[in-house]
Amino acid sequence: MSKAKAGLLQGTLDMLILKALFAGPLHGYGIGQRIAQISGDELKIEEGSLYPGLYRLERRGWIESEWDVSANNQRAKFYKLTRAGRKQLIIEEQNWERLASATMKALRAN
Amino acid sequence: MSRIKTTVDFIHAWQCPDEIADEVEAELSFHVQMRTSANIEKGMAPHEAQLAAWQSFGDFDRVKVSCCEIKRDFPFDLKPIKMGLYIAIACLAGAVALIAVNLPHHTPFGVLWQLIAIAVLMRAFLIGRKKQDNATK
Repeated sequence: MSKAKAGLLQGTLDMLILKALFAGPLHGYGIGQRIAQISGDELKIEEGSLYPGLYRLERRGWIESEWDVSANNQRAKFYKLTRAGRKQLIIEEQNWERLASATMKALRAN
Repeated sequence: MSRIKTTVDFIHAWQCPDEIADEVEAELSFHVQMRTSANIEKGMAPHEAQLAAWQSFGDFDRVKVSCCEIKRDFPFDLKPIKMGLYIAIACLAGAVALIAVNLPHHTPFGVLWQLIAIAVLMRAFLIGRKKQDNATK
């Protein structure tokens, strides 16, 4: 799949955000960078689309935010995973694995 | 986020929409600044770096509006509230029916109560049946 064509489903983006925050608190820009890093630069998301996702996840109680000072001494909003978010990440990963495995099975069928 | 904090945030989003919009804008602007700095570090000229940062961000205003709308969305599941409403209607229907059967039926007032009781019970029945149909679909 070409990087340009790698579109993301809503649920997938949510899962990737949760996964990016698993290692620790990050600001929005950092989350985008982390997703790119953990996907080996394969997943390119439109940077702006990250933020509605972050706000939705915060509303669901899976992440929480706090204004703090970034490494370059600027005020930034940092997000971190909540306990509910950690549980949700496990559920999302299991669902994703099941879906991927079922899809592969279907594609390999004669 | 606790339910209390969620509720406070929701009320705040409606009370101070400008403050929320400024906060969202500050957050998004920080992102564009960070991207610009990264582009400059990669060797782009400052103007070119900024332009590229805005392009890679996408539609800034649309994102800002979306974020503000999410902040103003009702934060809780409406199902339990609706369920509570149906229970209240059922209780009301029961109470009306109880009053109606205990009233003398030969007076116009008694007949009116009975008609109201029938109407309320009929409405409650129809709502219940519609909900059941939706659940089985």
